[in-house]
Amino acid sequence: MSIIKTKDFGIRYGEKIVLSHANIDVPIGRFFAVLGENGAGKTSFVKALIGQNQQISGDLQVNAQRIGFVPQFREITRDYPLTVSEFVGLNYNQGWHLWTNSSEKEAIQDALKRMDLLDIQNKRLGLASGGQKQRAFVAQALVQNPDLLILDESTASLDHEHKVQLLRIVKQLQETENLTILFITHELKLVSEFADGYLLFENGEATQGEASQLQSLTTRLTYSHFEDEVHHV
Amino acid sequence: MFSYSFMQNAFIAGTIVSIVAGIVGTFVVARNYAFLTHSLSEIGFAGAAFGLFAGWPALLGMMIATSGASIAIGALESGYTKRDNVTSAISALAIGLGILFLALGHTSTTAATGILFGSVLGISRDDLWLLVALAILVVAVLLVNYRSLRQLAFDETGIFLQNWRQKSVRYIFLVMIALSVSISSQLVGSLLIFVLVTLPAASARYYTTTVIKLMGLAIVLALFGTWAGLTLAYLTNLPTSFFIAIIEVIIYLISVWQFQKNA
Repeated sequence: MSIIKTKDFGIRYGEKIVLSHANIDVPIGRFFAVLGENGAGKTSFVKALIGQNQQISGDLQVNAQRIGFVPQFREITRDYPLTVSEFVGLNYNQGWHLWTNSSEKEAIQDALKRMDLLDIQNKRLGLASGGQKQRAFVAQALVQNPDLLILDESTASLDHEHKVQLLRIVKQLQETENLTILFITHELKLVSEFADGYLLFENGEATQGEASQLQSLTTRLTYSHFEDEVHHV
Repeated sequence: MFSYSFMQNAFIAGTIVSIVAGIVGTFVVARNYAFLTHSLSEIGFAGAAFGLFAGWPALLGMMIATSGASIAIGALESGYTKRDNVTSAISALAIGLGILFLALGHTSTTAATGILFGSVLGISRDDLWLLVALAILVVAVLLVNYRSLRQLAFDETGIFLQNWRQKSVRYIFLVMIALSVSISSQLVGSLLIFVLVTLPAASARYYTTTVIKLMGLAIVLALFGTWAGLTLAYLTNLPTSFFIAIIEVIIYLISVWQFQKNA
């Protein structure tokens, strides 16, 4: 069973063709790396998945009840006051009330537990480490219990140890909960240890492959901006 | 001190304004709208000057000008323009117009100082009813939109599906800031709006960590400054706005200092 299936799918911005004739098939419960240069159509594809208005053509099926999305940039200053758990619950609203109700609390606790954040749930997010912040961002996307989780360069700002830690946790979610993961990244070598497959966006086309092919991609895609790109966060 | 009706009115007005400012301020500070709020108060000055020129109540002119400007800023701010630059342009225009209307209307200096520095001891019972009505409106609208507003202010990036409700809440929020600025200027004057809207909420950020508690503490700090300021003004015969400003700035500096020491 597929969670994302496209047939002859295309995306345009006015005259500019971002993607054409894409035939993609992502099975449920897999971990896919989403690769490609900046401007190659990764973000446009993700936007199409989450239903943001775009000029699309062809067939796009998304069989996810809920999609969790972890955006790339978030400015959290040191004086950002909310605790990790308050932040994780920010966009989880079950109706109108001022205080967080018990079922919301339960969902927040569950997301904190899944991202290994229980012990720092009362810490100010602004004073949390880079790795803890990224886990909190993922936890916020997990609160609604998505069946498809999309991460946009979530490891870009982290040091190697924390990159691996975050990917391990995400991998565990995939394996134990059958969650489908789309991981947008430039860090091919790193993600090749965790992904089962990849989607590569290149020259307006999308290709799909298995994890075993990721290694050969690493040698082919050696343009400077893979691996070494400097990320400003 | 409470035997004078002008002092009673001043305390009631101060209490209402502090509650509104504490609630609105929490979201203003979280969304980095401090500069916008300050600019809206300058725009409010222009509106009040126009009001006096046209023979309307100053507060009415102020509400129209600030609401209009906040909607214009909301419409112009986008990925292509920097919010602060848009705000600067609109507020420059407003101050220019304000000066023009003051000159054209031959407005007395007393009226102009009243707008700029506040005239809390001159608040009448009728003004008070209007303040109460506006305050209830602002607080009710903010509470009804509390959940969307909380996310908009504390984590806008997390809203990746912008539906009509989230889009409209941006404008609702801007208009509520405009109304709060108009209300607060009755107390501290348009030059010192951020003393009540921004500073107490900014100080609260260093002591507490949930949105509800942030609003609560911001209200308490605003109330403390206002009540103490009114009392000191009564005792010394010096301007109320001066005391409120000094108290809120001291609280803010202490909070930053303590946070930096502990963090």
